[in-house]
Amino acid sequence: MHSYYMAGLSISSEIALPGLLAQGDDGGPSEISIRRDKVDSALNSKRIVGPTWQMSGDQFLLRIPNVARFLVTGGSTVAFETENDTPVEDVAIFLVGTVLGILLHQRGHIALHASAVQVDGKAVLFCGRSRAGKSTMAAALSQRGYPLVTDNLCVVATAAGTPMALPDGGRLRLWAQAIESLDLGTRRSAPVRTHIEKYYVEPPSAACEALPLGAIYVLRETRPPLREGIDQPHATSAPLLLLRHIHLPLLIRKMNREAAHFKAAIEISNAVGIFHLTRNFEFVGMPAVISSLERHWREMGLAERAT
Amino acid sequence: MLIANLFAGDGQPVNINELRDPRAIASAREPFEYLSLIDSGVLTHDEIDCLRPRIYEALACGAESGHGEDSDSAVRRSVHFVKLHDAYTLTPEGEPLLAGARGAEGAIFIVRDPRDIAQSLAKHRATTVDDAIAFMNDPQAAFSWQTGEQRAQFRQKLPTWSGHVSSWLNQRDVPIHLVRYEDLAADTAGRLKSALAFAGLAATDEAITRAVRFADFARLRQQEQENGFRETEHPWRPQTFFRRGEVGGWRDELTAEQVARIETDHEAMMRRLGYKLTTPRAPPRDRARGTAE
Repeated sequence: MHSYYMAGLSISSEIALPGLLAQGDDGGPSEISIRRDKVDSALNSKRIVGPTWQMSGDQFLLRIPNVARFLVTGGSTVAFETENDTPVEDVAIFLVGTVLGILLHQRGHIALHASAVQVDGKAVLFCGRSRAGKSTMAAALSQRGYPLVTDNLCVVATAAGTPMALPDGGRLRLWAQAIESLDLGTRRSAPVRTHIEKYYVEPPSAACEALPLGAIYVLRETRPPLREGIDQPHATSAPLLLLRHIHLPLLIRKMNREAAHFKAAIEISNAVGIFHLTRNFEFVGMPAVISSLERHWREMGLAERAT
Repeated sequence: MLIANLFAGDGQPVNINELRDPRAIASAREPFEYLSLIDSGVLTHDEIDCLRPRIYEALACGAESGHGEDSDSAVRRSVHFVKLHDAYTLTPEGEPLLAGARGAEGAIFIVRDPRDIAQSLAKHRATTVDDAIAFMNDPQAAFSWQTGEQRAQFRQKLPTWSGHVSSWLNQRDVPIHLVRYEDLAADTAGRLKSALAFAGLAATDEAITRAVRFADFARLRQQEQENGFRETEHPWRPQTFFRRGEVGGWRDELTAEQVARIETDHEAMMRRLGYKLTTPRAPPRDRARGTAE
């Protein structure tokens, strides 16, 4: 049995989950258990159906054709069955991505589709849609000395009125091209799946404690009419902007979690600055982007050390 | 652009940078990820293809595709138009990639003289014209086929120009309305009207005339010159998307050898579509080459 810790939750898993930080098995019960088991191809009871999933009560069934079926129950257990002799190493990335995302929704957590790094004791988040450069930004900043907080999925929990980012303690996931362009080849480990040229990359350092939020940037590409730079959307649109970057946003409605998300989006946007960071996707521009971020952090009083 | 302008509500030409419906192109990642809950970046191209029909079925049944289309009045229409470049192909599991009749009620298929495509494609892909001509005759050709990075869109198979056209003309799953770009350029209002009739949309002559005026090529190019165009392949490089838009531009852009290559590669389909060949045909062509693929 493998033991992990992610976003404040202890996980025990029958298979290795290389995306997460391993921890010693303390013998106590885990909050989440992941095991191989028979998983039917449909749920029995009354259900809501999507293109790859079914939901009924506290059960959620996800099927990735020719890869695996996953049954997520009650925010605490995950059973999976591979299809077509898919090796388990090819399944792990779905467990730490979509499946944990579903489970976090079941548990009532708020998770942003974001990566984050630690800047002077605070978490700076980078939200964005697929391919917006969340992992790339986190990778470039961790290389610059800012510890990685999380890659791709960032759980935000409010403690004593302060929204905190919970670290996944894990690794970056980067495309071959990004690894080469950012000169991270020596930190590269296994591919996330056998036939995918995306790899786990060990960050130089990682945060392991919950951090108050310092700033949130929504990543955009410089496409007309958008120009390069950092700008702040009007305060009234900030909560809506955050809601667009919830992890697995479809589940907000399917699981009737609109009110909780709206409340959280308002709390977060009251507590922390939310900005657009518009950049072109060519790696050659990254040093300039980092400089403008550090300048921005100094202006906000966020980072004494951001020089 | 014609259809977007048909629905322009405020009497102004549609801003070419505000065509934001996330469902607007079939190869977009957002609706797929929103509805499937799966990060498409950890799926292979073939695995994505196996799931794409499920997404088109869901969208055709009215599923939301993600960010904000509800607030966009332009998409609240009785008929929903989706742009695509994909050939009509089958998934590795043998079903139509685009979900056949479960994905769409019909297809408006726009073809253009391959001789006019060559220069335009070369510019779009930032290659030489000769490379573009080779791409148009490559059975393995595709847009966004890369594997070491994530492209904005899914892989779109383009198995030769002739193969792409025949894939659509020969399929029997959805009714098709064929429009030649040359005919559309010569009689834009007339061709638009018949395409809309095919789609089951009635539009007044006034609305059609206005859409034609707003989507005029020179106007689109002017908008791009003034503000840029977000759909340009490499937005930070100095280039333009709207090039000439002319019919027959190939006559002063291609060499005789290039014209001959295109006509040799695509003779049968060019004849089928009524594109007149200029080069003398070599007697009995080596037709085996075309069937050996």
